[in-house]
Amino acid sequence: MAELTYREAVAEAIAQEMRRDEDVVFLGEDIGAAGGVFKATVGLFKEFGPERVRDTPISEQAILGAAMGSAMTGLKPIAEIMFSDFLAVCWDIVANEIAKARYMTGGQMSMPLVIRTANGGGSRFGAQHSQSVENWAMMIPGLKVVAPSSPADVKGLLAAAIRDPDPVMFFEQKSLYPIKGFVPDGELVDELGTAKVLRDGGDVTIVALAAMVPRAMKAAEELSAQHGIEATVVDVRSLVPLDTQTILREISKTGRLVTVEENPRLCGWGAEIASIVADEIFWDLDGPIIRITTPHIPLPAADALEDATMPSAERIVREIVENID
Amino acid sequence: MDVIMPQLGETVAEGTVSVWHKAIGDTVSTKEPLFDVSSDKVEMEVPAPAEGTLLEIRVDVGITVPVGEVIAIIMREGEVIEVDAGLAGKPEDPAASKAAVPAREVSIKAANRDANGNPLSPAVRRLVAQNSLDPRAITGSGMKGRIKKKDVLAYLANGGASRTVSAPPPLNFSEDDTEIIPFNKLRKLTADHMVRSKATSPHVLQAVEADFVRVARARAGVSGAWKKREGFSLTYLPFIAKAVCEAIREFPRVNAAIDGENLVVFRRVNLCIAVDLDFDGLVAPVIKDADQMPLQELARAIRDVSERARTNQLKPGDFTEGTYTVSNSGVFGTMITAPIINQPQVAILSTDGITKKPVVIETEDGDTIGIRPVGVLAQSFDHRAIDGAYSAAFLNRVREIIQTRDWATVLS
Amino acid sequence: MATKPKAVAKRKASATSSAKSSVKSRAKAAPKRVAKAKVSRANDDIGEDTRLALWRSLLEIRHVEQRAYDLFLQNLVKGTSHLALGQEAVAAGFATAMQKDDWSFCTYRGHHHTLARGASMEGVLGELMGRECGLLKGKGGSMHLTSVEHGAMGSYAIIGAHLPIAMGAAWTAQYKKTGQVSVCFFGDGTTNIGAFHEALNMSAVWKLPVVFVCENNLYMEYTPIKDVTAVHNPAGDRAASYGLPKIVIDGNDADEVYRTAQTAFAKARAGEGPSLIECLTYRHSGHSRADPGDYRPPGELEAWLKKDPVPRYRERLAEFGIAQDVIDGMDAEVLAQVDEATEISKASPPPGLDLIDVDVWADGGTAWRN
Repeated sequence: MAELTYREAVAEAIAQEMRRDEDVVFLGEDIGAAGGVFKATVGLFKEFGPERVRDTPISEQAILGAAMGSAMTGLKPIAEIMFSDFLAVCWDIVANEIAKARYMTGGQMSMPLVIRTANGGGSRFGAQHSQSVENWAMMIPGLKVVAPSSPADVKGLLAAAIRDPDPVMFFEQKSLYPIKGFVPDGELVDELGTAKVLRDGGDVTIVALAAMVPRAMKAAEELSAQHGIEATVVDVRSLVPLDTQTILREISKTGRLVTVEENPRLCGWGAEIASIVADEIFWDLDGPIIRITTPHIPLPAADALEDATMPSAERIVREIVENID
Repeated sequence: MDVIMPQLGETVAEGTVSVWHKAIGDTVSTKEPLFDVSSDKVEMEVPAPAEGTLLEIRVDVGITVPVGEVIAIIMREGEVIEVDAGLAGKPEDPAASKAAVPAREVSIKAANRDANGNPLSPAVRRLVAQNSLDPRAITGSGMKGRIKKKDVLAYLANGGASRTVSAPPPLNFSEDDTEIIPFNKLRKLTADHMVRSKATSPHVLQAVEADFVRVARARAGVSGAWKKREGFSLTYLPFIAKAVCEAIREFPRVNAAIDGENLVVFRRVNLCIAVDLDFDGLVAPVIKDADQMPLQELARAIRDVSERARTNQLKPGDFTEGTYTVSNSGVFGTMITAPIINQPQVAILSTDGITKKPVVIETEDGDTIGIRPVGVLAQSFDHRAIDGAYSAAFLNRVREIIQTRDWATVLS
Repeated sequence: MATKPKAVAKRKASATSSAKSSVKSRAKAAPKRVAKAKVSRANDDIGEDTRLALWRSLLEIRHVEQRAYDLFLQNLVKGTSHLALGQEAVAAGFATAMQKDDWSFCTYRGHHHTLARGASMEGVLGELMGRECGLLKGKGGSMHLTSVEHGAMGSYAIIGAHLPIAMGAAWTAQYKKTGQVSVCFFGDGTTNIGAFHEALNMSAVWKLPVVFVCENNLYMEYTPIKDVTAVHNPAGDRAASYGLPKIVIDGNDADEVYRTAQTAFAKARAGEGPSLIECLTYRHSGHSRADPGDYRPPGELEAWLKKDPVPRYRERLAEFGIAQDVIDGMDAEVLAQVDEATEISKASPPPGLDLIDVDVWADGGTAWRN
């Protein structure tokens, strides 16, 4: 059991899979010799060389097109889009091409590829480098969508994504890159489509994703210590496939759902979960569903403003204390 | 077809619509409440008299009308109604349009709110429905007294509909150190009835002390098996009720009503059981022909009406033709209660706490002192109808039956 | 049915062929070459077998496209369709020069390229008609014809998207050293979208075995390409930006297309990187079934019909001494095949509704939750 940072876990997962499978290749801007703008891919260029770890021009359509074309012809590419905001400039390849190719061709094409991207706020980068856009991907049929919250999950889920025969959008939360966590030694491959129950409590079920998971955990400890409220915390981990069995079961137990979402209010993943809950376990609800999100605004840059808009542990505690009874 | 103000009791002449559960145009059913009605005795849900569509509401919430008056019109399935000029004009009628409550308000029915007016959560609604509970009887621990799922589970764990004696919600005193708690409908009805009864009948209280040892032995002998078979505990009350019914045969004038200058004595014994609804009013549903029932059946009947009273499921027939009333304050361990007569009856018996006491026991070998379960039976009677001696003789007979009957054999 | 003989080109590319291939030089050279060929068939660089393969491909496309048009008129073809009548030589020339395991990518105007790779006629017509026998089982339609088993790696209906995708396939060939070439067909309008430039640049930098083929039919959709483009040759004049030679050819001459393809493929297989080829051609019908083509100036269509690649190649075959009954026999044979494919397609049922819930994922299913 080694302690790794979230960013080191990215490189470990890629290295693990590239050593195992020659068909795994990696491309993106500044990922090779430079080791990635977030230093999440340090060491890969040196170990695997420029044939397998390819620096690209600033051409997101070319990056994802290359990933798609190589995936359909036998490679297992990992493409990096430096900031998830930049997915907007290559969204055609993601939404119209990669996601639809298998279905439109009557099952003729396979698309075993991973698109990694640095997602989310907290880095004072302003509205074009801080968005939490996992819901963009979630609403496109044909994409799997993963967003890990810990180094161990980064390694296990990224490895699983690389081995998966379908296209996977892998959202790394950029403010989590420096966090540390224990990661099991040896080969680690997790399972996509599985949520994780991180904490068991009887009063309320907090469902969170990525950077909101550590905040939800902190809030849960605070709720327990200061307010006598025991919260279950579920880390969704994978939006598609969605582990509704675990999520609905944990919500049914407490009858109360609080989603903690980094995305702006409208059409966040929590809205989909709330809708499933209303459809399927309405009669288990013991009070209104609470969605804690960033307001429906472009994320501001200044630290004071950004901190006030993204859901914080304090805000989670406050909203639960004020609304849960 | 016409929907009329129902007869809620033989002495009830009018009723007040307290809630319309349906709006004009809604589908109505004999299986769903159409409106709530309150009288001076009772508040209850009334279903539609037929399947159909609510065409017209003629009596608004809060309006009191005589029994038998048409309060709404239903178009039965397949029925064609001739629209007369008056009816055709109705949509513009401000009263009618007011009655057509916006859907959102109608959707939260009175029955889906707790005693504090909070809506019930889906989980609570399901538990309430599954267990036939009256949410107003459940104490909520949430915001503004909101009932949470765990409150219902705690309520059920404490014996379901049996009383959970919990502290009333904390008061919020205002600056002048008072809090105004407005009477709810049932509280108002209870208050009016009590004042009228006291004003009508000269009350006299008499009490006897009874030794319940034989009842206690009989209960102990069957308690486990009874609970298992019947699903509820066998209390002292059915024994007392049985003794009352038998004593009435010998002293029928306590089983009567005053009509002007006549005492109307009833052959049938229709026993009213007073049920307190969690400190928020009193109802006294009737067990018809209670004297004809064996003890076990009487026990079930008492349980049945109490349950239905607490879950708001009593029907109009449950309030008519009562002849004598038993009120039970025993669960709180009181010693004696002076009850107020349930008009137009002439007597009411209160049973209080039955507690172990040292008792002098007379035997052939002389007196000894034993520890016995003892309780007070207190009867208030209308001195217009009977006198103290008659009442005392009746009470003495009740005590005698309780003390001497071989209840264990009766039960076996 | 309709399997066609594939000539596999083994000829070495001549170093000067790309320079020879400009329209001007070909226009001057053509009469000479014809005259020369007549006297010296032994020196013919293409040969009879390949010419007959080109002829069959031209005929298949022409007859299937005409049949598709007839089926529109009978309301049997649903949705939109973009016919390639008039552009047959580009598809026939390149496909005939390809190896069987090469990959081709095309646009929504892709019936001709899909047929040219060997996909069945009933697969194409059935897909246009929304029938079970369609190449995509009815799930893609006219704009997405694909036949992976024939190396036809898809028809892409968003302008520009498939250039980087074709580049990705070329990356596989380069990485795995398979010698395969990726060929990408697109229209003149595509040269003004960003993905075109991203793909050209990165392919050139990575020296990928990909051949980009612009079918310049003069109109993007309804607007003349010259009205919206800064350079005269929308593809050819951009080649220099990516360090590539300008290649503009007569796209209605199947032989010229074939020779140009061979040269580009040889360069790609030799590891010398991509090519960008602009084929001048013309679509005889409108942009799509909804378009009568009224925006074309009078006389333009008539002028191009004189350069119609099909009659032109019929004459070419005769010039090279191929017997008329062979030429006509193949025509009749192909038409009979199209008739048969039409009947098969008409008889094919609509796709089963069970197909709705298959093939989103590799496991065959569509589940997004457990």
